[in-house]
Amino acid sequence: MGATTPARFTDPAMSTSFPFTLGGQTHTLTIRARRPALVVEVDGRCYTVREHPSAAPGESTLRIDDRLHEVTRTRESDRIHVKLDRTTWSVGYEDPVTAAQHDAGGDDVLRADMPGVVVSLNATPGATVASGDVLLVIESMKMQINVVAHRDGTVENVHVEVNQSFDKGTELVSLHPNT
Amino acid sequence: MLDSILVANRGEIACRVLRTARAMGLRTVAVYHHADRAAPHVGLADSAVELHAEVPTAAYLDVAQIIAAADHTGAASVHPGYGFLAENGDFAAAVEDAGLVFVGPQPEVIRLMGDKVHARAFAAEAGVPLAPSALMEGSFEAFLDAAAGIGLPLLIKAAAGGGGKGMSIVHDAAELEARARTAMSEAERYFADGRVYAERYVEQPRHIEVQVLGDGRGNVVHLFERECSVQRRFQKIVEEAPAATLPAELRARICDAAVKLAARANYRNAGTVEFILAPDGEFYFLEMNTRLQVEHPVTEMVCGIDLVEAQLRLAGGEGLPWTQDALSVTGHAIECRVCCEDPARDFLPATGRARVLRVPHGPGVRFDGGISEGQAVTAAFDSMIGKLVCRGDDRGQAIDRAVAALGDLTLLGVDHNIDYLARVIDHPAFRAGALHTGFVTEHADTLGVPVLDADARAAVVIAAALGVDDFRRLAYDIPEPYASIGAWRN
Repeated sequence: MGATTPARFTDPAMSTSFPFTLGGQTHTLTIRARRPALVVEVDGRCYTVREHPSAAPGESTLRIDDRLHEVTRTRESDRIHVKLDRTTWSVGYEDPVTAAQHDAGGDDVLRADMPGVVVSLNATPGATVASGDVLLVIESMKMQINVVAHRDGTVENVHVEVNQSFDKGTELVSLHPNT
Repeated sequence: MLDSILVANRGEIACRVLRTARAMGLRTVAVYHHADRAAPHVGLADSAVELHAEVPTAAYLDVAQIIAAADHTGAASVHPGYGFLAENGDFAAAVEDAGLVFVGPQPEVIRLMGDKVHARAFAAEAGVPLAPSALMEGSFEAFLDAAAGIGLPLLIKAAAGGGGKGMSIVHDAAELEARARTAMSEAERYFADGRVYAERYVEQPRHIEVQVLGDGRGNVVHLFERECSVQRRFQKIVEEAPAATLPAELRARICDAAVKLAARANYRNAGTVEFILAPDGEFYFLEMNTRLQVEHPVTEMVCGIDLVEAQLRLAGGEGLPWTQDALSVTGHAIECRVCCEDPARDFLPATGRARVLRVPHGPGVRFDGGISEGQAVTAAFDSMIGKLVCRGDDRGQAIDRAVAALGDLTLLGVDHNIDYLARVIDHPAFRAGALHTGFVTEHADTLGVPVLDADARAAVVIAAALGVDDFRRLAYDIPEPYASIGAWRN
């Protein structure tokens, strides 16, 4: 696996944002403060969060501002199943690495799962790559992410340039399987 | 008295029957398909026999394998549960031919009631009210004429039918012929029996049914009525006992009609006579179900009895456990069918793993479940995974307890209708008892997933975020100076 040296970002708030989907809409959760209490911002509003684990695994009580909630939850790959008080929700969350590589499974074209910018390119057309080789490094949600080859092959095409920004779904690199 | 029993079913009903059989000291045998090897009913029996079939449901329909399993384990009786082979007269006959006791009615009674046309004729002879109807006895044209003579709207049904298949409502005389032909071809396809009949369609009908118990010698008691008016696509989703509202005199007439029908059939064991109740107070025979019903627990809770115990005692040769005078209703009970389906996507059956399953407890709260935590819910079987049944001193308390218990019932990992059920029974119209079989359609607008306000949405997202390790690390673990680096992962 390619190693990437973490870079320092100057905007601490932006470096701690997490995208969630609920009912087809994306909500970005950003950590605004960690002490004395955790403060998060969701859709432009800030909330103070205090969590108290319960005896049963996966259960906790959650005080958000002045409101107390009972929570049971379990995570299953890109979904978090949540029972909040009396109702059940399924919340989507894809961690950035998974998101970037999401389309790699079985597809010869690696696509971006979220908007971002190309930081560096390792792949050049015609190059032979092995599964796990870093093809390019992208920055998305203020995080640098290695996009790796999902299997052995030959780089057929590189569709982006360094510093180019791209939208979700953009083709990044095409691989051709070795014969 | 029976000493052993094989339960030819799966899921919650197999568990429920096995529990009572065990409590009565019977040796118990479960059967299962490989797909159900981790299902709770397998562990609840003294022994379990695997049935082999490529399609899982086919295993529970395999008469020869089930009887061989009973033979192999020395089980003296067979309980069919509901669904699968429960209303198959040939299965009941095969069980008896093998020298075993079938916990249910006589095979010929199952066959009689399974044929809707014959059952209607039998009900008419017993003096049970029937909706004006037309049967297809002569030519198709004669049937159309007779049907048109009943008046509109009309309901066309399959003679061999059930579950809404081959069923069609005709509001316009011009549609009659086409609808009748469609119903016939559907009936042919689903039941290999193209016979249909037409009857007057009752607008805004209620579904009232009567639990009966017979000794097979003409002695029958009823255990009062249940109301199952809340249905979706002809499938019951909420049932209660007694009916939400029913004048005492009308209740007595409906229960009497049920007893008359069952007594005339020399009905043996537990059965249910279903009626349609019109807004004008007229009631009509719908069908007789010759088995234990899904919704039997509401009757148990208001009558204070165990219907499976009664079934097993009757099958063991004891007489009726109670006289009619000894039976009465105390309080009110409501059952909600918990199904793995997605209300947000038109109740599409949902699959997944029951990663978290916490069932509610409390006074008057009963959960009849059929899956265990960690078990996969697949498309191989029915989507119903359990029933929540709550009893209260009155209907209001039963509803309050059921709403609270649905709120406490936690199932995570597979989509389900638990929140939807809570919205149904907490609906003002449900609380008011304004029920009819079109209830969920009439109130569809107010039964949808509620729109959350910003704070409620944020609470859900925050609760979810705390289940993400990367988030937790940043929120709690990393010393402040490093928190700004971001969620590096590789």
